[in-house]
Amino acid sequence: MNILERLFEMTALGELIESPLTLVMFALAFVLLYLGIKKRFEPLLLVPIAFGLLLANFPGGQMNVIQATADNGLLKMTILEIAKEYGIMNMLYYLLIKTGLLPPLIFLGVGAMTDFGPMLRNLRLAFFGAAAQIGIFTVLISAVAMGFTLKQAGALGIIGGADGPTAIYTSIVLAPELLGPIAIAAYSYMALVPVIIPFVVRFTTTESELKIHMKKQEKLYPSKTKIKNLRTVKIIFPIALGTIVSLLVPSSVPLVGMLLFGNLIKEIGSDTNRLFKAASETIMNTATIFLGLCVGATMTADTFLNSQTLMIVVGGFIAFAVSIFGGIMAVKIYNIFSKKKINPLIGATGLSAVPMASRVANDIALKYDPSNHILQYAMSSNISGVIGSAVAAGVLISFLS
Amino acid sequence: MNNDIQTALIVLVVGMITVFVILALVVLTGEILIRIVNRFFANPPSSQAHLSSADTNVATPLETRGIPKQTLAAIVSTVDIITEGKGKIKDIHTK
Repeated sequence: MNILERLFEMTALGELIESPLTLVMFALAFVLLYLGIKKRFEPLLLVPIAFGLLLANFPGGQMNVIQATADNGLLKMTILEIAKEYGIMNMLYYLLIKTGLLPPLIFLGVGAMTDFGPMLRNLRLAFFGAAAQIGIFTVLISAVAMGFTLKQAGALGIIGGADGPTAIYTSIVLAPELLGPIAIAAYSYMALVPVIIPFVVRFTTTESELKIHMKKQEKLYPSKTKIKNLRTVKIIFPIALGTIVSLLVPSSVPLVGMLLFGNLIKEIGSDTNRLFKAASETIMNTATIFLGLCVGATMTADTFLNSQTLMIVVGGFIAFAVSIFGGIMAVKIYNIFSKKKINPLIGATGLSAVPMASRVANDIALKYDPSNHILQYAMSSNISGVIGSAVAAGVLISFLS
Repeated sequence: MNNDIQTALIVLVVGMITVFVILALVVLTGEILIRIVNRFFANPPSSQAHLSSADTNVATPLETRGIPKQTLAAIVSTVDIITEGKGKIKDIHTK
């Protein structure tokens, strides 16, 4: 009998019975795994996050992240002591996440996979990437009104930027205690872009607006400047832009700087091909794995199952929808004053979520006019949205941290 | 709470202005850069020339061999971009 008791104690079953809410977390992990694997909702991040969540909630597994407080002395411990005392997941979290290392590394990879060509060819459309950041700041105000602290509200609002690494980076700096639910909300809504954009577009645009033919408008009112050496422009552009942004919003440098460096090593071509490959494959993939696992490991029943998480999920959706609305409205205002009309779907892609937002916008445009391919135009505001959300994150961090 | 909302409103105004200013600078930088590059580092006109004078960079009159003009233009442009204007198409074989 004694042996049976000891065997029972060896398993995690006893602790599961003591804390049944852990089973809810298991269910959540299984749902996220299902969405990632079967429904292909952002599988590259949702699968590691879901598995990290699962690992964190195995009782006795020592894989859950413990937030540093004044009492537990975590902030004064060395990495080796953290690993010994709290397990390897905490070591990874404090080494890679808490230091803010991984999101800039992911931005390096994103930059290496980004082509600024469509934006450079349609530079004026980049403005709509700014308008689509309005959701971030409006939800900041709403969240404060709902009782969140300013820092927490800033971290919640950044979901409206539709950029996972930016949302994670901002949360790490402003409200690490909300990292798990914010990451889940950010990536879930990014995966739901094909649902959210058509939803907002349906209520804010007319059929005639959606039929605005971008190429016909281009023929009617052609751009004055044609690029005569795109490769050279693409090489100089990240250097020039990086310098300007660094001088004006230094707090966005970790994200924007790495994004532009990644882009530069891509554009140089064969001479830096090895660096490009490392940034876009090896580093990007490694960073994604550890980021996903560590974020998932922050979500235990105690920290996740509360009213704040529900408010983050709702607030995140509102931030997303308002951002899309902001982009569409900016195009509508532009169209009042300009002869050259722009399809409002271009504004809807002003949030990041590259390239899914552009693809969704293109599909909607084709539904109304099969010859209206707006992908290259949508990519312009979509890419500028990445820069815009990183700058918005920089502003939030400078003001609120 | 009121102070927090006031701060949030300030962040809204400052944040949106900053994002607009930065993206305006992105547009401006791009425009200036394009003008400078067009002025000093412009590629010699190649793609158009390839199409109009097939004998210079494309050895045989391919249009007459049943290759659609648009396909030919795409192939010529691709070769032009990859080889930075140095490559020449000698022949195209279709399966």
